[in-house]
Amino acid sequence: MPSPQAPPAGATALDPTAVRPDIADARVVRTTPGELRAVLDGLRNEGMTMLVDVGGVDYLERVPRYDVVYHLMKITTAPASPAQVGTPERVRVLCGVPGDAPVVPSVAGVWPSADWAEREIFDLYGITFTGHPDLRRIQMPDEWEGHPLRKDYPLRGPARERTPRPSFALKSNVAAGTPASGRTAAALQKQIAQARGRSELHGAADPAAAAQSAKHPGGSATAGEAKPEQLADRPVNLKSKDNTP
Amino acid sequence: MTMSSVAPEAAGYNVDVVEKTDNRMVLSMGPQHPSTHGVLQIVTEIEGEIVTKASPEIGYLHTGIEKSAENLFWSQASTVIERMDYLSPLTNALCYYLAVEKLLAIEQQIPPRAQQVRVLVSELSRIASHCVWLGTGGIDLGALTGFFYCFDLRERILDLFEMSGGARMHPNYIRVGGLAQDLPDGFLGKLDAVIDMYEPRMRDVRRLLQKNPILQDRMIDVGIIEPQDAVAWSLTGPVLRGTGIAYDVRKAFPYCGYENYEFDVPTRTEGDAYARFLVRLDEMDEAMRIVRQVRKELDAPGPWQIPDTKFAPPPKETIALSMEALIHHFKLVSESFRVPPGDVYQAVEGPRGELGYYVVSNGDNRPWRVRTRPPSMYNLQVLKKIALGELIADMVVMIGSLDPVFGEVDR
Amino acid sequence: MALNGGGDFLLTTVDSVARWAQASSVWPLTMGLACCAIEMMTATAPEYDIARLGSEVFRASPRQADLMIVSGRVSKKMGPIVKRLYDQMPEPKWVISMGACASSGGVFDNYAIVQGVDTIIPVDVYVPGCPPTPDGLLYAVNLIQQQIKAGGRGGVLARA
Repeated sequence: MPSPQAPPAGATALDPTAVRPDIADARVVRTTPGELRAVLDGLRNEGMTMLVDVGGVDYLERVPRYDVVYHLMKITTAPASPAQVGTPERVRVLCGVPGDAPVVPSVAGVWPSADWAEREIFDLYGITFTGHPDLRRIQMPDEWEGHPLRKDYPLRGPARERTPRPSFALKSNVAAGTPASGRTAAALQKQIAQARGRSELHGAADPAAAAQSAKHPGGSATAGEAKPEQLADRPVNLKSKDNTP
Repeated sequence: MTMSSVAPEAAGYNVDVVEKTDNRMVLSMGPQHPSTHGVLQIVTEIEGEIVTKASPEIGYLHTGIEKSAENLFWSQASTVIERMDYLSPLTNALCYYLAVEKLLAIEQQIPPRAQQVRVLVSELSRIASHCVWLGTGGIDLGALTGFFYCFDLRERILDLFEMSGGARMHPNYIRVGGLAQDLPDGFLGKLDAVIDMYEPRMRDVRRLLQKNPILQDRMIDVGIIEPQDAVAWSLTGPVLRGTGIAYDVRKAFPYCGYENYEFDVPTRTEGDAYARFLVRLDEMDEAMRIVRQVRKELDAPGPWQIPDTKFAPPPKETIALSMEALIHHFKLVSESFRVPPGDVYQAVEGPRGELGYYVVSNGDNRPWRVRTRPPSMYNLQVLKKIALGELIADMVVMIGSLDPVFGEVDR
Repeated sequence: MALNGGGDFLLTTVDSVARWAQASSVWPLTMGLACCAIEMMTATAPEYDIARLGSEVFRASPRQADLMIVSGRVSKKMGPIVKRLYDQMPEPKWVISMGACASSGGVFDNYAIVQGVDTIIPVDVYVPGCPPTPDGLLYAVNLIQQQIKAGGRGGVLARA
């Protein structure tokens, strides 16, 4: 079941990341997997010494589907005081990766810290990094199937999506066609019929008893007065007689 | 269920158990281990006592927090995000909310008192987190008394969190636009007590640990990191400052009014575990210095939440009197606010280093993506390098000096 | 236990002495996973002091522990390891599921977390909270002691 969120709409679908120039937290560079190494090498020559982070984003219906986001920072590599460190320049490189062939060159040879970060993106998004020394799952168990952070991967995992939550149905988070859980009208009618049938079996076709059972379909042993002969016939069992789910 | 921790063969080791004539063996340390500071498995190849290869395996605490956050409202997502770095939960929430406030373009409207309290709880979290580091680091080396002293100090700080936010850990006290509620009566008195208690307590702790010959023997020249390696391995926080580069996000990219406070950034140049130990001790003192400065500002009352009730709920008393307040409250609780589309990277200085959140919004009332920049994960990765050639017994010291929190490493 | 009038003998049953010894020296396994582990460590700190209940030491080796306090969220990757450690503990053994995540998955209703450690191992006492205060953990240890004194040998819920 896909995420209940709608993918970026309209003009932002192509690049929600270019919408807010006013924020200005970093210089943004857009690139493709083919040009990625060249762009990163160029930035490295400019002095972007630290690869702060590598992360992935899945835009689902955008083309290209994924973004691999490299955060770089220009910081000195020699001992320095806070004044000398100053305000390092930040750059954000967004590499658009197509969904049908998610392959990106690895930068683990250039920045050793990219090792685990790229493994994590491989694990959670399924994007392959060519040239990575040891590309295998890192967060999920080795034999896990699927890439959990993709937008079409169910939140609760494939096995548990059969039980929609919350137990009461909201329009926004129940997939079309999923029946609401809990007591439906049909189940209620069934319980009433069974309760009526049972009281007829015991000879007292009492409309009051039937009405009582109808009002408390969970079993007349727990409701109002119980007929003495009903108690004598069977041991008192406070669980519902029919236990209709 | 099959054993899903990484078998040595899968990690690329040749496990030869038939005829061992040399002293080489593959040792799996963890994931259940008293000294790995959490669920960490290190598959080490050792020759005698010297480590020839160390391969940390993480993921044993992978919680899917980022996926959960995508399915919760903006204000609900902080509950799961707080549980990443569980030693300083409010720092995570602060960084996330700063990012959200940037996307909402309301960061200029946060009232000063809210900023001051945010700084206060951040610094108290830093002290509390370093108390745990110091206590458990000492235990790893056999120094049990320090553990008791530090945890008692931490208790007093957790009392403050419980008073203001409602819970000792994960108080969810920081909200969009300010705080969940104002500081309660009696808080400032208790804060004064903590401030008074801090100095004699840390003096005792330093006397126990700082010049302790056993501690020095075990920490000096262990796990040395050069500054250029530190940058190449994306280290931040005390680990980076222990190599000499004084990069602190509070100074480089000030937030919440940190530029108004006087504090130093402790730095050492040796780059070993002892240097990181001293840096963190000094950081606790600097944090308390900031707390004292903030304390003076908190005497004056003031608003603690932005007045715009489209993002922050209106005061409870007004809900019975004003229709608009009721509607806003209802909307916030049932549907939450919407954040205009865009992306932002926001960083704060956590106790472990640069904690960052790359938050992407598509205009909806739920985050589209919350990517954490986990300082502990990058700090821990350098273990692959610094453990080589060290004794296996030093592994514990090195992990302690890197101070990882696995809620953040694995998320 | 009955005291002989002369004062030189003590009559009791082996069972009650054994149970008294077990209940007074419940040694937990260091099964600290996440945030609850910090509160578990705080329970050993002077403010709460679990040692006065008998849990003087937390043993790292499952062979030497008789109580497993599952403190923290159990990920799908960690699940088999928790099970393996439980199997390695010698009988009698008890399990406290500390916190909401260990009891039911907690706030993390998603693909990565085992929705309750009782799907893997039998649990004797559940402690609610996120995280529970150390008082809650101490109360849980008290309940385990009561179970021991009443003759429970652990895993009682699973065998009921």
